[in-house]
Amino acid sequence: MRDMDKNTYYIIAASTISHQDTFGKTGFSDSMSPVVSPALITPDYKAFIDAGLLRRMSKILRMAVACAKDCLAQAGLDQPDAIITGTGLGCLQDTDKFLNTSLTVEGLLPPTAFIQSTHNTMAGQISLSLGNHGYNMTHTQNTLSFEHAMVDALLLLDEGEQHILVGAADEHIEILSEITTHLGYKPGFPLTSGASFFIISKEKRHDTVARIADCEPVAFAQDPVAKLTRFLDTNSLEISDLNRVVYAVPGNANAGKYKTIWREAGLDPEKCINYLSLSGVYPTASAFALNYAVDLISQDRSLKNILIFNALRKENLGLTLVQSVEA
Amino acid sequence: MDILKEDLKRQIIEQLNLEDITPEDISDDNLLFNEEGLNLDSIDALELIVLLEKYHGIQVTNPDEGKVAFRSINSMAEYIRKRKS
Repeated sequence: MRDMDKNTYYIIAASTISHQDTFGKTGFSDSMSPVVSPALITPDYKAFIDAGLLRRMSKILRMAVACAKDCLAQAGLDQPDAIITGTGLGCLQDTDKFLNTSLTVEGLLPPTAFIQSTHNTMAGQISLSLGNHGYNMTHTQNTLSFEHAMVDALLLLDEGEQHILVGAADEHIEILSEITTHLGYKPGFPLTSGASFFIISKEKRHDTVARIADCEPVAFAQDPVAKLTRFLDTNSLEISDLNRVVYAVPGNANAGKYKTIWREAGLDPEKCINYLSLSGVYPTASAFALNYAVDLISQDRSLKNILIFNALRKENLGLTLVQSVEA
Repeated sequence: MDILKEDLKRQIIEQLNLEDITPEDISDDNLLFNEEGLNLDSIDALELIVLLEKYHGIQVTNPDEGKVAFRSINSMAEYIRKRKS
């Protein structure tokens, strides 16, 4: 069991590739708009990835490696002590390519897509790009993949590691839209891709603005509000102490239910934001929410407590408490 | 112009996703696995084996043959012609 009082987990770097102008930027939270275009705002990957490696990388790998390297540059680190990733659906582009080829080509199958189709390719490619020999782990727990990766990172910090690279990414491929249509899944926001990475550290820097106060993934959450109350109680808080709630709740009916909960707790509805409208829908969008929370704090240090409430999937609940750090 | 060699260059670019390279950038005697050539690696060697089967119906079953055949565009074309004759 983690002793949250014993350790403080500072966020010393954050990097996101999304539909918003997030990459390499601070203050992006002031100028975000709902996702409409299918295109992500991507950096020039050649500035981050060797051309020989880049030619083999799918979208998710490019995003992950670029964000990872950007984080290390921000933190002024050559190497993290560990690399931990979360992904809900893994390297779908390569999986799609490999499976389609296996259906249409007789005989030998091209190896690259097969090799890179596994979920842990992302963490592996980051490691290869950095020449890192540390702990390398991938968590895949549907919509709680990022929260599980984060808990792993916090546990490693408790055990004495100093700087952990932790992040998450997912990529959209066309067949996902077909599948969700067949399943009758209507999240209310566009299905898309995204990647967010962070350096979580024991060491506070002069420009550190936020820390992870707590993170709890809850599988098969029967009563999310009761879970939330207990989570906040553990951190000596009540719902009304929250300065912002960034939440993911798909569908209008469910969103309405939570809007009522926030309002009845005394929170200004304007300060409770369904981040799916900004990130689009992908299993690890809560990583985008963390970067969003950090950016909100960087723009307004009076925001002491921001809750990330990830109920993207009804059965899963991800709770992350982000707190501002005294200057 | 040797049509087989030009086809090979296009097929290699497509199969290996050589984004910034055009057929004109590859000379017939460029060493494919040399730093001064295309600087290909062992995964690319597997992709070339797949390429030969996919586009030319040739299976490379003897690894020693591959070593010689994949030296350059010239040697690949020579290998294909020899196997098809």
